[in-house]
Amino acid sequence: VTGDTEPRWRAAMFGEPAGAGRVRCTLCPFRCVLGDGQVGVCRVRRNEAGALRTATYTAAVTHLTAIERKPFYHVRPGARVLTVAGPGCSFRCDYCINSRLSQYGRDDDAPWLGEPARPAELAARAAAAGALLGMSYSEPSLAPELTLDLAAQGLPVVWKSNGFVAPAAIKVLAPALLAVNIDVKAADEAAHRHLTGASLAPVWRAIEEFRAAGVWVEISTPLIPGTCAEPEALRAIARRISSIDANIPWHLLRFTPDYRMRNADPTSPAALGQARDFGHEAGLRFVYVERALGAEGRNTSCPGCDAQIVNRGIWRMVQNVIRDGRCPECGYAIPGRWGER
Amino acid sequence: MTAIQHVFTESLPDLIDASEYSRYPEGALVRLRISVTDAGVEILGDGLRPELIERVLAAIGDGPMEQMLCG
Repeated sequence: VTGDTEPRWRAAMFGEPAGAGRVRCTLCPFRCVLGDGQVGVCRVRRNEAGALRTATYTAAVTHLTAIERKPFYHVRPGARVLTVAGPGCSFRCDYCINSRLSQYGRDDDAPWLGEPARPAELAARAAAAGALLGMSYSEPSLAPELTLDLAAQGLPVVWKSNGFVAPAAIKVLAPALLAVNIDVKAADEAAHRHLTGASLAPVWRAIEEFRAAGVWVEISTPLIPGTCAEPEALRAIARRISSIDANIPWHLLRFTPDYRMRNADPTSPAALGQARDFGHEAGLRFVYVERALGAEGRNTSCPGCDAQIVNRGIWRMVQNVIRDGRCPECGYAIPGRWGER
Repeated sequence: MTAIQHVFTESLPDLIDASEYSRYPEGALVRLRISVTDAGVEILGDGLRPELIERVLAAIGDGPMEQMLCG
């Protein structure tokens, strides 16, 4: 997609009057109060003459890829996802590999890209490929209007998100979502604010709210030096996930030096192996490393009998023997969304 | 110098295997594959530091640069 060089704004949800022509955006926990013409922290929602408008009803990228790439390992293994993304993010993470898309409005290297999304066409393309619909690469929660319209086409929708979404918005959006993979990028508030510019507490709350609303949740943690790559931080994150539910899949992602963090080294395989151990020590049943530990880092074993029930290659499913959500050897119910919604 | 056009692409082949990561703890590895195609010369780069690949490709020419996105 190439398309426009300037955003096209349209009516947005989650706006409320804030007096004197100002508008409060209640979509995310920043709750920006915007004067006429002002954009929010996200740079893609703004006040236009007292009404909240959004630029996120946009398709800058439409890619058909494996669901394992989001990553989702407990949602329809082997499925394909037509991922739709427009510019914009509520975070400004120093390590962002997608900064040329996500950091629109903040960086000169991230110009406006895309054209208005056409949900019916996107759904038809996904259906023809036997795929789900996904929103990823930038921050999908900034596009609730597009999310709802995509879901209205009748295909399941999945997000890869930073989880910085207000509870009231989650209530509205959860029925439209099959699954969300949420990044947990730090163990404490100070580190999270330093990296992202935002508070960590709403992310944990979003994880609980999505789950309470019936949305399948997986969690990803990139091992960012100085933020969450250190053992105590990883242990703390693992314990927190386990305290919510030991069945939540935890994906450990290799840090790649890029953007404003080019001086640090990439994560070593040994560090990823150690982090996986922390996850298991915390009681997590499903801890995954996509590449660095080889196939054993990607496979799913049954917690009941240790049989291998899903074998994966890089960004693909090789074999899935789960039947009706259960291990074929011992009948253990494997948590996930394995079949039809 | 012309600004490089960056294009987001669905998929690019790997030139580095994960088993090599531990041999390059500082990420000082860039691998290139140069092919002659009907459209001209295509250079595929893979590396552990995207910045290094981009610097190499930018030094070679100002054609569009494709990159994959994370997530």
